[in-house]
Amino acid sequence: MPLLGSRFVVALPLAQLGPEFFHNRSNPDCVQRNGAFCVGWAVDNIDRYITPTLQHLALVSSSVALGFAIAFALAVLSHRHRGLVGPLTGLTGVLYTVPSIAFFLLLIPVTGRGTDTAVIALTAYTLQIIYRNIVAGLSNVPAEAKDAGRGMGMTDRQLLWRVELPLALPQIIAGLRIATVSTVALATLAVFAGAGGLGAEIYSDLSFKTGIIIAGGIAILMAIAFDVLFVAGQRLISPWRRVRPV
Amino acid sequence: MHELDLEVPGGEICVLVGPSGSGKTTGIRMVNRMVEISDGDILVGGTSVRDRSPAELRREVGYVIQQIGLFPHRTVTANIATVPRLLGWDGDRIAARVDELLELVRIDPALRARYPIQLSGGQQQRVGVARALAANPGVMLMDEPFGAVDPINRERLQNEFLRLQAEVRKTILFVTHDIDEAIKMGDRIAVLREGGRLAQYATPAELLMAPADDFVEDFVGADRALKRLALMRVSDIDLWQAPLAHVGQAMAEARAKLDGAEVPYVLVIDPERRPLGWLSDADLRGETVPARPDASPEPVLELDDVMRDALSDLLQAETRYAPVVDAEGRIAGVLSVEIISEFLTSSEAVSDEHPAPERPVG
Repeated sequence: MPLLGSRFVVALPLAQLGPEFFHNRSNPDCVQRNGAFCVGWAVDNIDRYITPTLQHLALVSSSVALGFAIAFALAVLSHRHRGLVGPLTGLTGVLYTVPSIAFFLLLIPVTGRGTDTAVIALTAYTLQIIYRNIVAGLSNVPAEAKDAGRGMGMTDRQLLWRVELPLALPQIIAGLRIATVSTVALATLAVFAGAGGLGAEIYSDLSFKTGIIIAGGIAILMAIAFDVLFVAGQRLISPWRRVRPV
Repeated sequence: MHELDLEVPGGEICVLVGPSGSGKTTGIRMVNRMVEISDGDILVGGTSVRDRSPAELRREVGYVIQQIGLFPHRTVTANIATVPRLLGWDGDRIAARVDELLELVRIDPALRARYPIQLSGGQQQRVGVARALAANPGVMLMDEPFGAVDPINRERLQNEFLRLQAEVRKTILFVTHDIDEAIKMGDRIAVLREGGRLAQYATPAELLMAPADDFVEDFVGADRALKRLALMRVSDIDLWQAPLAHVGQAMAEARAKLDGAEVPYVLVIDPERRPLGWLSDADLRGETVPARPDASPEPVLELDDVMRDALSDLLQAETRYAPVVDAEGRIAGVLSVEIISEFLTSSEAVSDEHPAPERPVG
């Protein structure tokens, strides 16, 4: 489970910090020495992370939401016209392979520095995963359920909303989870587009360990929180997945 | 499909049967336009299917498929309510209809909030039928509806469905590849051959007695004589009469009745004319007719029994004669293996290669 994996990622570096970590509040030299983690500094300066965190949250939410909207439209379109699946998979795949920093820098002359540029690039990265998962989810809907639905007089639209999408939901949400977690990580590069976020704190002083740990830690917590939300949401809207056969 | 011309009388089950590739499924899917017809026409209740939009038409025609196709993400209630919802019924009317249908197909109302995966195969099948019946369609299409059910439950579901049909009287097109199922379920049977050609359209009895050609004869099977027995009841055949004797009657009178009797044994009956048993040779040497004859009357058959089951009872009991009683238990006659075998030979149902079963020694 990805959730468990994320927890290990958090736990392992902390274990390696050593006894100094817990005592350096009484050590005023910590910041000068650039100790592994200066608790005192962290407690005194935690305020400065609030704005970057909110920016980061906004970047991730808007990119994933926009990416989902576009990928959803493309997936539904190619569900009706199967011939589009290949070209669209290729197109979103190409977007996915553009190196991220290069993507930000390439966009700046076109869209300028700022949030818009970051959101455009981050959105482009989510398309591939979300699109593929929706398409796969829709094509994995049992043929007999579709046949029964159509045979009982559902229009294509009714079949999509009442049968196909609900049954594809687990796979759609799986795509959203991966896309969101990777966007949380990628958004730390949004600083190169001038969009701030947690990356701003990381890249402002790459040598300051405490700052990097705090910003990185917040990003990890944010990824976990998103994941938990998605899992909870899925459980809430697909109760039929939880029942046991008798 | 090729020049398939069928007329199904209202309220009857018409079975399309044939080998795979004979177009049975295509045939019924053309009725609800799941497959479009290229030429010709199909009238449902006097109106051409081409005159209605596919979605509209399908909501008026019940549809049951082999894999049942219940929606896994919907409860029993929501599955059954599918078409009424599409038709925009209000909540109260839908709820009342679901209750009614659950009772009709004998599903415990406690299961209504279950998901399909929580039901047995037989329960899923019945929910599938209830769903097809939901908007009370005049016409039902059933594509191998019992195909996904195990053989033991299949027989039960078939019987249940026939009971249901006696109540709801739908006009049904029923597809199967199983000739036995066709004979059991059908009021009329259309035998299709490869390429969707109609080989014969007849009642089950006609099909068994007079197959139109070699293909039908082959398809119906070498044991069609025996299959006909499944269509008959004991009351459909002329029974023999056994000499009857009352308890306490003088034995001499009973012995006298044996002369020239159809059945060479005396059957003892009680004052309500219920069979008590057969007199043995030892009994016949006595003075009066005993209340407990040596030979038990079993198996006692009923006029309403299906002939095939009656024959199987006779063979199983290794007896040549069995008393037949009416609904009140009063003696109506005697059935013997000879009567059945004479019936089978006389109806030219048995060809030389397939002789009637050997008569068992009674």
